[in-house]
Amino acid sequence: MSRVARLGAFIVATLAVLAAGVFIIGSKEYLFSSTYRLRAQFENVAGLANGADVQVGGVHSGTVTGIELPKKPGNKVTVIMELARSTHAIIKQDSVASIETEGMLGNQYVAISFGSAGQADVRDGEIIQSVPPLELGELLAKTNAILDSSQQAVLNTTLATAHLNSISAKIDSGQGTVGALVNDKQLYDNLEQTTTTLHDTMQQAQIGVTDFQENMEALKHNFFLSGYFKKRGYEDSSDLAANRVAELPQALPEKTFTYAARQLFDGRDSARMKDQKTLNEAGDFLAQTQFGVAVVVVSTGMDGDSQKDLVLTEARAMVIREYLVENFGFDDSQLKTLGMGKQAGANLEADWGSIQILIYPAGTEVPAGKPAPAVTSSTTGADRPVQVTAVATQKP
Amino acid sequence: MPSVASSATRLFNGFFEWFGSLGIFSWQVLRAAVTPPYEWRELIRQLDEVGSKSLPLVAMAGAAIGVIISLEARYSLSRFGAKSMFPATLVYSVIQVMGPVITGLVVSGRVGAGMGAELASMKVTEQIDAIEASAINPYRLLAATRILACILMLPLLTLATDACALLTGWFAQALVEPLSFHQFIESGFSGATFNAFLPQTFKTTVYGLIIGLIACFQGMRTRGGAAGVGRAATNSVVLASLFLILADVVLVKFILVFFP
Repeated sequence: MSRVARLGAFIVATLAVLAAGVFIIGSKEYLFSSTYRLRAQFENVAGLANGADVQVGGVHSGTVTGIELPKKPGNKVTVIMELARSTHAIIKQDSVASIETEGMLGNQYVAISFGSAGQADVRDGEIIQSVPPLELGELLAKTNAILDSSQQAVLNTTLATAHLNSISAKIDSGQGTVGALVNDKQLYDNLEQTTTTLHDTMQQAQIGVTDFQENMEALKHNFFLSGYFKKRGYEDSSDLAANRVAELPQALPEKTFTYAARQLFDGRDSARMKDQKTLNEAGDFLAQTQFGVAVVVVSTGMDGDSQKDLVLTEARAMVIREYLVENFGFDDSQLKTLGMGKQAGANLEADWGSIQILIYPAGTEVPAGKPAPAVTSSTTGADRPVQVTAVATQKP
Repeated sequence: MPSVASSATRLFNGFFEWFGSLGIFSWQVLRAAVTPPYEWRELIRQLDEVGSKSLPLVAMAGAAIGVIISLEARYSLSRFGAKSMFPATLVYSVIQVMGPVITGLVVSGRVGAGMGAELASMKVTEQIDAIEASAINPYRLLAATRILACILMLPLLTLATDACALLTGWFAQALVEPLSFHQFIESGFSGATFNAFLPQTFKTTVYGLIIGLIACFQGMRTRGGAAGVGRAATNSVVLASLFLILADVVLVKFILVFFP
């Protein structure tokens, strides 16, 4: 090999090494691929060095090309990064730069998060958002605080356990009520005996009440008292509620029979009927017609005590219903009562109140039963003379 | 006492005289080098002498350095649990420090001694005077070509040293635990910048200048027969190595300041 050839070979070989080196380093510095520049500002870069990695999604995608101290106090340190063009599609306006450490003591690098799909692209040289780096010292301070509070928690737990210990020791040794309950058999026996006695007493009381009811029933039929019940027109107040409804059905009545109370009853305050035959027309109609539901509606004029009048109207309705059910053949569950109490306007005082028997066609829904007697008001309309807009008030 | 004083004075005189002569010599070589005619044939001969013929030596030195650093670094790094830093440690220490310095010292030993002895024997056998008498500038023919060859060849030899050291360093590591060459290069050059490597490699042109200049200077100022030749050879190696190391101190600082 000639001298010149040998020299040429040497030069080519060593320059090849140089070229390889340049390309290896160049690929790290992104000198030979298209790049763009981004900036981020930090209070503190925690020892980040020029030439440090920039990672996007954990992939090496760029280099830190400059770190500039602020020109005046109060500004932030600017980190300039050169990023591969390929990351431009994923870094958006809302991407965040952070300074991270490889492992506990490794190199610092900048990590940039992916942007959201809807956000605008970043421009060359733009400043993106950043989060301050987590420094080891800061981390240790936080850990210290956590350790302090957990120590306190452990102390509290220890204290609570000691208290529990003391309580269970006291229970065990029979101190206090719970201790006595747990430890004293006699107390338990006494308690059981008491309960048994109480049970017996209750049974006897029930028998006593039944006897009293029978006595009362007998008393009602006694010669001296029967006059009162006769004059009142009915014997048992509890029967008043048996067929009572809360309101009239929504449908229009098929037929309406109207009577004045004076025609039917003994006196202004009485529910004792004097001329039952007046009702026969209505009774015949009920017996011959397939009706859905019929309601006996009774009301009084405006004078007198409201509460008493309410009871009176309910009693009158019940008495009329009883008469109709006993003397005419139809399904008695379809005949209901409704005592309206005092109703302004429609009733003449001279009539002692009015009675209506409203008969609704087949298929009419039977209204719900009325749970407690109510005072209602207002009357309107010609074909529905008594309209109820159920305003319930509690009985005192 | 007077003898001590006079010998000290003589030493100082000799020291400054040497630097003064070196300065004059440098100027004469520079003036001869930049003016035509150029000695291309001699330059190629010297490039071959300094470059290609030094290659086996620096390659072997580099290979040895690679293995040494590999063994040492693996041991130290595993003590600190930083074994993953091994490729970077090897790459940085070879390219930034060991490669250039080892190349400079090996070349100063081989080339410096050769040039010093060759020029000194030419000087004592009055060949240089003969060249001068035949109207050829000996600075242009003998000194400028040699110095230029050293300046040009040193960076290339350094690259060869680096390449050999990295290869053997990787090989020594891969024998112990599996590490692909690609992975080694990827990890070793991660975070690498041109500023970290190119100035370190091309500062060896300064080493080349020092080696060539001192070897030629020592050779061409030789006096006194065969003993003078031996002295010139020794002096050129010793002084070239010394100045090379001293220059490195300044060069490293210079590079750190201007190529951060």
